[in-house]
Amino acid sequence: MSEYRRDIDITVKVNGVEYIENVPAHMTLLQFLKERLYLTGTKEGCGMGECGACTVIMDGKTVNACLVLTVEADGSMIRTIEGEAKEGMLTELQKAFVEHGGTQCGFCTPGMIMSGQNLLDRNPNPNREEIVEAIAGNLCRCTGYEPIIQAIEAVVSKKEATSLDGARSKSEG
Amino acid sequence: MIMPFAYVKPDTVDAAIEALQEDNAHALAGGTALLVDLRNGVVNSDLVVDLKGIEELDTFKVDAEKGVSIGARTDLNAILEDKTLKTTHPVIHEAVSVLGTYQLRNRATLVGNICKASPAADMGPPLFVLGAEIVIKGPEGERTMPVTEFMTGVQENALEKGEIVVRVDIPAYQKAKMGYMKKQRIKGHDLAVVNVAGLADPGSGTLRICVGACAETPLLLEGMDQLYKEVNDIDKLAEEVSELAVSSISPIDDVRATAEYRSDMARVYVKRIVKRICS
Amino acid sequence: MAEKESGYRYIGKGISRLDGVEKVTGAAVYVHDMILPGMLYGKTVRSPHPYARIKHIDTGAADRIPGVRAVLTGKELDYKVGLYILDKDILAKDFVRYQGEPVAAVAADSELIAEQACREIGIEWEVLKPVLDPLDALEPDSPLVHPYLGDYDYMKGVFLPQAGTNIPHQQKVRKGNIEEGFKRADHIIENSFYNPPAQHVPMETHVAIAQSLPKNKVKIWTSAQSPYTVRNLFSVCFGIPHEKIRVQVPYVGGGFGGKAGIHLEPLSYVLSKKAGGRPVKLKMTREEEFNTIPSRQGLYSEFKTGVTKEGKITALEVRFYWDAGAYADYGVNIGRAAAYSGAGPYEIDHCKIDSFVVYTNKIFGTAYRGFGHVEALWGIERNMDIIARKLDMDPVELRMKNVLMPGSTTITGEKITENTGRVDKCLEAVAKDIGWAGNKSDEQRRRDRRQTGKVRGKGVALLHKAPAMPTFTSTGVILKFNENGTVDLITSLVDYGQGTYTALAQIAAEELKIPVEKVHVPWDCDTAFTPYDWQTVASKGVLMTGNAVIAAAHDCMKQIKETAAHVLRCSIDELVCDKERVYVHHNPDEYLEYRQVVSGYSYPNGNSIGGPVIGKGKYIAQGLTHLDSETGQGLPALNWTYGAHAVEIEVDVETGETEVLKLASAFDVGKVMNEKLVRGQIVGGVVQGLGSAVIEEFHFSKDGKVLNPSFVDYKIPTAKDIPLEMTQHVIETPQLDGPYGARGVAEQPMISIPPAIGNALYDALGIDYYQLPLHSQRIYMGIKGGEKDYHD
Repeated sequence: MSEYRRDIDITVKVNGVEYIENVPAHMTLLQFLKERLYLTGTKEGCGMGECGACTVIMDGKTVNACLVLTVEADGSMIRTIEGEAKEGMLTELQKAFVEHGGTQCGFCTPGMIMSGQNLLDRNPNPNREEIVEAIAGNLCRCTGYEPIIQAIEAVVSKKEATSLDGARSKSEG
Repeated sequence: MIMPFAYVKPDTVDAAIEALQEDNAHALAGGTALLVDLRNGVVNSDLVVDLKGIEELDTFKVDAEKGVSIGARTDLNAILEDKTLKTTHPVIHEAVSVLGTYQLRNRATLVGNICKASPAADMGPPLFVLGAEIVIKGPEGERTMPVTEFMTGVQENALEKGEIVVRVDIPAYQKAKMGYMKKQRIKGHDLAVVNVAGLADPGSGTLRICVGACAETPLLLEGMDQLYKEVNDIDKLAEEVSELAVSSISPIDDVRATAEYRSDMARVYVKRIVKRICS
Repeated sequence: MAEKESGYRYIGKGISRLDGVEKVTGAAVYVHDMILPGMLYGKTVRSPHPYARIKHIDTGAADRIPGVRAVLTGKELDYKVGLYILDKDILAKDFVRYQGEPVAAVAADSELIAEQACREIGIEWEVLKPVLDPLDALEPDSPLVHPYLGDYDYMKGVFLPQAGTNIPHQQKVRKGNIEEGFKRADHIIENSFYNPPAQHVPMETHVAIAQSLPKNKVKIWTSAQSPYTVRNLFSVCFGIPHEKIRVQVPYVGGGFGGKAGIHLEPLSYVLSKKAGGRPVKLKMTREEEFNTIPSRQGLYSEFKTGVTKEGKITALEVRFYWDAGAYADYGVNIGRAAAYSGAGPYEIDHCKIDSFVVYTNKIFGTAYRGFGHVEALWGIERNMDIIARKLDMDPVELRMKNVLMPGSTTITGEKITENTGRVDKCLEAVAKDIGWAGNKSDEQRRRDRRQTGKVRGKGVALLHKAPAMPTFTSTGVILKFNENGTVDLITSLVDYGQGTYTALAQIAAEELKIPVEKVHVPWDCDTAFTPYDWQTVASKGVLMTGNAVIAAAHDCMKQIKETAAHVLRCSIDELVCDKERVYVHHNPDEYLEYRQVVSGYSYPNGNSIGGPVIGKGKYIAQGLTHLDSETGQGLPALNWTYGAHAVEIEVDVETGETEVLKLASAFDVGKVMNEKLVRGQIVGGVVQGLGSAVIEEFHFSKDGKVLNPSFVDYKIPTAKDIPLEMTQHVIETPQLDGPYGARGVAEQPMISIPPAIGNALYDALGIDYYQLPLHSQRIYMGIKGGEKDYHD
């Protein structure tokens, strides 16, 4: 077993920046991002690929970073939430999330945005069903998902934010 | 938490086979099963052998005449997005479309799903009704076996030490109708409470129905061709096949459903699938 | 502030939340993300048994692992923790009382080492027979979860633990004369219902970092809803004076009540102390979040209703049996709150409620959005529909005949006024939205079923909730001007997603007459700097802290005007503030910009007056009283927020699978502070309520172990599981003591979703379900059984 290493040298590009690191084989990409690179935007929600809070884009595909070993990312290009806004300019999707109430506690938001942005990168004109499929692997406990779906739709259709979808009536008591 | 292990990424099947003969070595493809098991302490590994560096495992051929070959490295989204496969073998497409989440499917593989051999494996029933063959390479060389013999028990497969599945071969079906149905607890990502696949080929008189999550492995029902030949009325056929299904399976009570519900849903879903593919 | 409705600059406007950018860029830092210099990682060993005596714990091997800095067991800790009853140890001492209870803990240089050390800790157990059901726990021969209940410290005057039993509290309501009430009834109807324990599932699991410092000081960073409660309970537990304990709360990834109290902080602290004062981070895995961190209580509810043939309820007798689990935590208060609310939003002259909180050997219950009301209203609102049916009356009509209206009296003797709120208007709005035309007939149901194999049904349910809070609940706010005329809004109310900070900023901007962009909330709460707020719970943030903001703003204006009066040589009454200026009301050209005043004013010759403008405001609920221990009479409610849901569903009768086609919700919010935020709370709450209604529950094995402590088998709604259509209506009956007439609507959206669906299922199928969740298997088994009543 001596030729099989427990610590591996890797080269990985994260948000356009190249890192050359020596990592233990058992370290997940999520741990690497958070604890080695201090990119805290990507979140740990469950550690087993069920909640999507750790969603990042690896070589153009969304993955649960908790289920990728850092060594598997050797030679790869990773995009995390920190790389989305460029020089302080929010992306259209980020702006839409703010406008449409797509974020409340914010913990699912980075993963949700990576899933949403990846969808728009692959398919600039998704219908509602395609949007739902893209984010179905991202759990949210706060928003009820509808505002998130509408935020993504808004990037596609440039619609304005809706507020209360029902009637509003004054009552004098 | 994932406990430490050594890691190797061979670039040939032979090198992988050699590595997998080490004590406590495990094959890694998509990682969506292995990493979860490592984290939960279900598996403890001393050596993880990453198969993703092996080109030979990259096969993904879809031919309407010759059939389909899916290599061990092929991820589920690649399968889902293949437009030809959607028309030649729609039962695979249907099953993959309800397997996992988009993120999981970017990593998880069809071969991995079969190797994990959960009784509720989404790829089980479709490959069973398609008569898929599993191509294996190991220290003793290459061998092939029907998928029905490959899944041997609850999370058990027929691989010997040092062996890996290289690819899955699926015959072509020109005129067959096929389908997959999965009973879940929610519409979002969930394991099957019951799943069924069916294939009806009027040309050859073949009817195959497979029920999953109701026994230790997916169950291919027996005597289907005979019934297909003898019973002309589709409602009666659906009725008889579904009763046969119920009497063949041995579902259990677990946290996801009762045996009774699984049995009743097997009946419902088999009936629906028969009506769909035999009409 | 007699601004006309149309004159509000910010109140009522749909301003995007002010923390949106931090969240969408990943800049927001949560305790989950924090790494501090010298920080150690904590891990726990948890009990595999629901009830056992700890015979021996062997930590020798763990101690010897390099990188392990502290190992602790309950033996070394002589502290008791609790909110109302001090019944809990930091680590189980002598006995474990639920499967999942922490028994030993390790702090080490890395998570991996801590985990490895935990695996080396050996424990010898004497397994005891657990009691797993609250009804069993009430039997005289039941095992006692807390044999020494009589020795515990507790909050006297409010709670009353019954020594020698499994009852940490019983709440009573007695209004009128129940026997009289039943005599006047034409029909007496009895029903019972059940909801199982469920979990909050915040996306950020519980996590705390604590550091023991010299001079008995403590520093805590925690994902929590109530920094001052953490500090207070910490002080009570360890006997450390308040001012030596510093609690900081940065961004919080969801709470839903589960982070309202004190959880991991004490354990983090004792580990830190043992490790020589290095900070220790204790972060729950998702499994620990499900299996160790407290849950929502289960509830058995029993109703006996007397009603006249015209539909007037004359008597209501209710018994609640709360499954509190192993420790009292918030559970006893939930039992109390549900009792005074336990008749639903109806006027009932004769009412008798007994709410028993019962210990069992399961994960203990804590506060959960709705504070007992999601659980209780399942039964209350299903009961109403069943009564309507017995009278052959439309369920909407029955409710309208009994709802609390201005002039009514509640079951605790509170008078409903013109401004309390209008539950009837909420019901009207949703019934209209859903196209309510009464229940289907049996014949109609049979016909529908024959046609497609799928049947549709409609159902309604009402809700009400007041903040469940002590009479002394109070809040303070500081508005601190910066030199450039912007303002820092300083509060210890925690914004963990509700958007409260945005609403408070709107209020500050409105009152101070400055653009809302100039109001800044520094975000992190810190008991060293941010003023006291009792807890961020109970849907009272906007009301109470909003009022405190108004008071603080008025204090600022007073200070600004005092300085300006000197400079402009006028009296204070002649000054007006608007658009960041203070000016002489009859001569606006005589003005000062705020920024000329807010750090003090300097005359040309150098004389300076004034100083930093720092406004303070506070608010305490006026006139609340304790509840009489025998009759439950009193005034517990700061305000009532009423609401209603109407739902249309479609059921596949062959499988029991149910689709929610449309969900209409209405709430009397008093005044919409911010449309986007209100919508956010409603849509989010409704979907969370849907989870409780159709799928969420803990599964326990026969021997009391949790079978589904992960997302694999504890399912919550995904983007694919939301209703096809959701609408939100608001009624605005002004709350006279609320800011601009506003009242809270944070918990209410989740409440009564389950009975709305249960009632719709009856409409669709003609079957009554009495137990949650209404998953496809349960619905199917009811259909299969062929009876009108389905009991598991």
